Amino acid sequence: MTAEIEVLLESRRWMLESRNDMSARPQEAEGGCGVVGIASTVPIAGRHILQPLLQMHNRGNGKGGGIAAVGLNPDQMKVTDRVLEEDYLIQVAYLKPKVRDDLEEEFIKPNYKVEKKYKVEVSADADYVKSLEVTPPEVWRYFCRAKKEALDEFVKKSKLEKLDSRRAEDEFVYQTSFKINKKYYAGTTMTAFVMSHGRNMMVMKVVGYAEDVVKYYKLEDVKAFVWIGHQRYPTKGRVWHPGGAHPFIGLDEALVHNGDFANYYSVSEYLAQRNIVPLFLTDTEVSVLLFDVLNRTYGYPLEHIIEALAPTTERDFAMLPEEKRKLYRAIQATHIHGSPDGPWFFIVGRNCFYDNKFQLMGITDTSMLRPQVFALVDGHVQLGLIASEKQAIDAALKSISTQYPSVPHYADQYWNARGGSHTDGGAFIFTLFPEKSAPDGLRLICTDKFGTPVTTSQEWDNVEDFAMADPLPQKPKLSSLGAELVAKKSPRDAFNLFVKKVQGISGSDLNNMLSHVVQEACRNDSNMAECLDLLTLIIDMKYSSGRIRRSRLNQKANEAITRMLRCAPMVEKSAKSAFALVDLKNRDKLRVPVSPFDRLVIDCENFPMEGDDGVSFLIKRARDLGWNRVVVIATHGQRFIGAGLGPKSKGLRIDVYGSPGDYLASGLDGAELFVHANGQDQLGQILAEGKLVVHGDVGQTFLYGAKGGDAYVMGNAAGRPLINAVGRPKVVINGTCLDYLAESFMAGNPLYGGGFVVLNGMAFDPNGNPTDLPAPYPGGNLFSLASGGAIYIRDPKKLVGEDQLNGGRISRLTKADWELILPHLKENERLFGISVEGFLLKVDGMTRQPEEVYRKIEAVPMVTLAGTTQMQETGD
Amino acid sequence: MVKDTKACAKDLPEAALVPSEHLRFMNRFTVTRADMCISCGLCASLCPYGVHKRVEGHVRILPPDDRRCIGPSCEVNYFFCVANCPTNSLSVGPSETFASLGDPRWTSEMILATWAMSETGRPLPLDHPGNVGASGGGFDKLHFKLPELKGKVDPSQICTAIDLNRRDSGAKIRIPIPIYGGGMSFGSVSAYTMLARAKAAKRWDTFTCTGEGGYPELLIPYKDHVITQIATGLFGVREESIQRTRIIEFKYAQGAKPGLGGHLLHDKNTPEVARMREAVPYTSLFSPFPFHSVYSVEDHKKHLDWAHAINPKALMSVKVSTPNDVEMVAVGSYYAGAHIVHLDGGYGGTGAAPEIAKKNIAMPIEYAIPKVHKFLAKEGIREQVTLLASGGLRTALDVAKAIALGADGAVIGTADLVALSCVRCGNCESGRGCPRGIATTDPVLEKLTDADWGAERISNLYGAWRLQWCELLARLGMTDISELRGRTDLLVHGNSQPKEASK
Repeated sequence: MTAEIEVLLESRRWMLESRNDMSARPQEAEGGCGVVGIASTVPIAGRHILQPLLQMHNRGNGKGGGIAAVGLNPDQMKVTDRVLEEDYLIQVAYLKPKVRDDLEEEFIKPNYKVEKKYKVEVSADADYVKSLEVTPPEVWRYFCRAKKEALDEFVKKSKLEKLDSRRAEDEFVYQTSFKINKKYYAGTTMTAFVMSHGRNMMVMKVVGYAEDVVKYYKLEDVKAFVWIGHQRYPTKGRVWHPGGAHPFIGLDEALVHNGDFANYYSVSEYLAQRNIVPLFLTDTEVSVLLFDVLNRTYGYPLEHIIEALAPTTERDFAMLPEEKRKLYRAIQATHIHGSPDGPWFFIVGRNCFYDNKFQLMGITDTSMLRPQVFALVDGHVQLGLIASEKQAIDAALKSISTQYPSVPHYADQYWNARGGSHTDGGAFIFTLFPEKSAPDGLRLICTDKFGTPVTTSQEWDNVEDFAMADPLPQKPKLSSLGAELVAKKSPRDAFNLFVKKVQGISGSDLNNMLSHVVQEACRNDSNMAECLDLLTLIIDMKYSSGRIRRSRLNQKANEAITRMLRCAPMVEKSAKSAFALVDLKNRDKLRVPVSPFDRLVIDCENFPMEGDDGVSFLIKRARDLGWNRVVVIATHGQRFIGAGLGPKSKGLRIDVYGSPGDYLASGLDGAELFVHANGQDQLGQILAEGKLVVHGDVGQTFLYGAKGGDAYVMGNAAGRPLINAVGRPKVVINGTCLDYLAESFMAGNPLYGGGFVVLNGMAFDPNGNPTDLPAPYPGGNLFSLASGGAIYIRDPKKLVGEDQLNGGRISRLTKADWELILPHLKENERLFGISVEGFLLKVDGMTRQPEEVYRKIEAVPMVTLAGTTQMQETGD
Repeated sequence: MVKDTKACAKDLPEAALVPSEHLRFMNRFTVTRADMCISCGLCASLCPYGVHKRVEGHVRILPPDDRRCIGPSCEVNYFFCVANCPTNSLSVGPSETFASLGDPRWTSEMILATWAMSETGRPLPLDHPGNVGASGGGFDKLHFKLPELKGKVDPSQICTAIDLNRRDSGAKIRIPIPIYGGGMSFGSVSAYTMLARAKAAKRWDTFTCTGEGGYPELLIPYKDHVITQIATGLFGVREESIQRTRIIEFKYAQGAKPGLGGHLLHDKNTPEVARMREAVPYTSLFSPFPFHSVYSVEDHKKHLDWAHAINPKALMSVKVSTPNDVEMVAVGSYYAGAHIVHLDGGYGGTGAAPEIAKKNIAMPIEYAIPKVHKFLAKEGIREQVTLLASGGLRTALDVAKAIALGADGAVIGTADLVALSCVRCGNCESGRGCPRGIATTDPVLEKLTDADWGAERISNLYGAWRLQWCELLARLGMTDISELRGRTDLLVHGNSQPKEASK
């Protein structure tokens, strides 16, 4: 094995030697980006990758976009099954089409037996083509195998006789593409380059937005099992060459990347020591070259590749089992110089040719510096999704559901990876492999770095789910449950009845019930208010939904809310209703409310993500006009909701449905904001006063620099919640955090008006019952460098240790502490149904005293941080 | 854009005499008179500078007025008092205080010259040694090739104004001098110091900046002239402070300490400062080095969009240090929506910046400015960006050099403090801070600075600087400071000012 590696590396020596005669070009500037990846057990059309990319438009600046597709359709590719599976699909982009004859003559014809060759069709819409800043290159597709003589000569010259002949052919293709790129791209000419050369996969990229790739190359209907997409935001302004756009390729894999490394040169040197030379000069290219060398040359299993890229460090390393530590130490010792340093998040799509599998994976850096969300859709059609923003996943699902109606609009499970961790390794892999028993012959499984499978927690009835996938009936049949629910005195009673009835209900009955509720709601205002509350509870709360798929129920209840509120009169039409509807078109007609209890419904369907037409300005204007209740529906990534209201927003309540975007409630100073969904990144930044309730998870840097206010999170927070928070924020997080909770927390003494976080370390099981997480806080950094505030952590088994702290100390909960947090836990109980007596204080079924269950983490005055003499003055 | 030169030189503040309370005895030379003196009055009748004074009717001659003495070099003159004294009771030597004042970057000459301008509002001659430091590098090695002045300078005919918003959208803000005050937080300096700077900024219709320690209430009357800074610690950043400002500054990094956040050591974090920042008193406050919500350029855009959502009217300024790829940062900031790109070089910083960071990280500002200027021009967006430089720009000539290198204007920090009588002792961070009551929050020490007096002094300095720019432009045959931008051909590299213009 080692000998083979050496021979393979040696065969590339000429590549390294050629480095010197390449003209020195500066490294391409790389910036941040928006990335998305989809894997599916059924072939999905290219247009579905379009929607999430469109909604992450603002993560790119139109200077580069690209997609990769793995697992193509032979008919669409105009080849037979065999050719598609076995041949290398070489795509060459010709910036100067006239060089094609020369290139083919020199590189294609002598080396390859071309079984099919054609020019990739482009958009015929002349106006659209004209609107592109840079015309995309002409792309030619060659399906080919290496010519026997050429391959034999290569094997002989490179002494690759020991290598399996197919693997030698792989290397032959790889090196031939390098030759093409070197001659036609790396010099000063830049006339052509190889976009991809893997089997059953292709890459397309342009200067422009990723949407343009799909539109220009007419990929809307092209089908594939795995898609990845990328919006590029390079800092360099005038980019005219698509060679720098993502994805980049190894052999059978394509990689997109969000972030940039600080050690590009170090990684390049690491590669150079292995005779590998980057030609496109972006850190993404080196990333995929790294992946390729670890995969194809060293033959590492995926776990080892991921470890080499994102090494496990610090406490997480110590938490690994002994054998793993030994192994990882060896990997790190060999490959640490090739490990990218800095913020990065990779999405890789690949065809595992030798294992007959397709894979999609996301790998995050050890410090978790880039946003990332994973999602799993189970059921008849299985999907794995990865994106920079949760709303992009929802957008993809909504789009896919137009092709496959059984796909719900929300995933069955969303989660974040904990980079470089001992828990999940910071990476998740969706693998598609053939299985006879699977509905479409393909099965998808999701595993983490260590191979531990991720499954959706619920088991539902697919037949009921199909029935429910139908649109809500416009005119419902008589629904006895619907009538019963509407007849109940309060929405809470109705909800309790619903929870009881949902156990035995069928999907079509449920649809009928929802439709009935909508119909009743549209009759009058009081019905509307009560039905809204009922449907909100159905979305918000955790309970057993029996045979009904929970993600589908959420989708349908959201649809019902949207449909119901859309029957409210438009704001300019009538002032009689207690509900008024406003959307992008009629937003200038916003008027003052008649009664202070009137609700303004903002329909986000057509609102842009941000900018001067953004929904945040409309909310601000509504506030200025005197509206106290704002309901924001159908959000799909709109940012800054609740920002800009200013300091006098007390008394305002905002309810948000759908998939809201980043920076929600950032700057909130008095208002109350309820999110009936998962939150995204940067929620509650500098939050000063008011209340933020999230019926789900929140993303990165939750409450960064917060000054005060109350916040309640039903699920988890991602990395760095409450970093640099000061003043008196009072926060309950019921799940856990990825890491770096309350770093540099400076929120005074909680017992004298300062701030605190309660971390409950719990989750809900599929039946809606609360359960304890394996550890309330798995991260290695807790309350680091904090000088004030406290964390009250629910940790009866004392799983959190001093080694997780950096400056704080764990102390016993006092009576005063309990009296401080109890009202917040009671409110938490009211909001999420997480009972204090019934669950939080129960350990293994026994009720315990608060001080046996909660532990306090508080600041220690450190010599390095505080002068000892002056500390005495703080008393007054 | 065509500027109306006359309009832009109209209604500028007048200078007033603002002597310093502390610095009366700060002289270059010390003249001592021994007890042997018989008060004959000969020295008084000889000295043409008025060092010695014999008042009729007084028994004794007055103590020597050191400030007027030209020093031992006077010995060549027939009137040299030391040589003429019949009792040998006079001696002249260098002043120890003067010798110990300053450092190579801020020489004693420069400090004194800045004080003189702050007191009088009168410009320093362009060939005065107080215009250039002795650091042996940076701006001290760059000099203008200056032709002799033809005729008189008419400041009313010379425009020194710059536009802060050169993009198509947003409010048009123009300041009559190419500088505004940089961020110094409440905590690093006193509230009175901030107030003095804000008052001066209002008088000159320019700006000062909050720094990252919150927005003290006493600045609110000056809100149209105060930039709200959003820095990595987000201390004191609230919606109302973002909403009341005309310019929002995002401090990504500080040239004095790139790779580090703001530092406020525990002693200076008094209860008042802690209240403003809502932190725990007497703990050291270290801001994180990055914005944790911004790890890449699309985050940066989102961050600016967020501030825009809070205050859609404000201009956006992005303050960055000078890493090797500073030009990429500048372009990225433009595309993220910034109106002002503010490059902060490494020569500045008060005493609080650690030495290791101050002198050893990032690119010198005089390399960064032309690099960014040319790159923006190449990208075709130079005319949409206002490029400001800061970090150790001490004098009017430093500002002019930065402009000649390619900046539109400059941001001033330490010079404002020197105008307030800072002696550059460099102990800003230690204890309760400053012996002059500038960089302190000690409730007693801070009273040493009177805001009105300080405002006059800063205003005088700005006025004197403007006259210096006017002379410079007149000698170069220009009427508008924008003509100077990017004119590196007017600069020479060397140890001293070339004597004769090469033209």
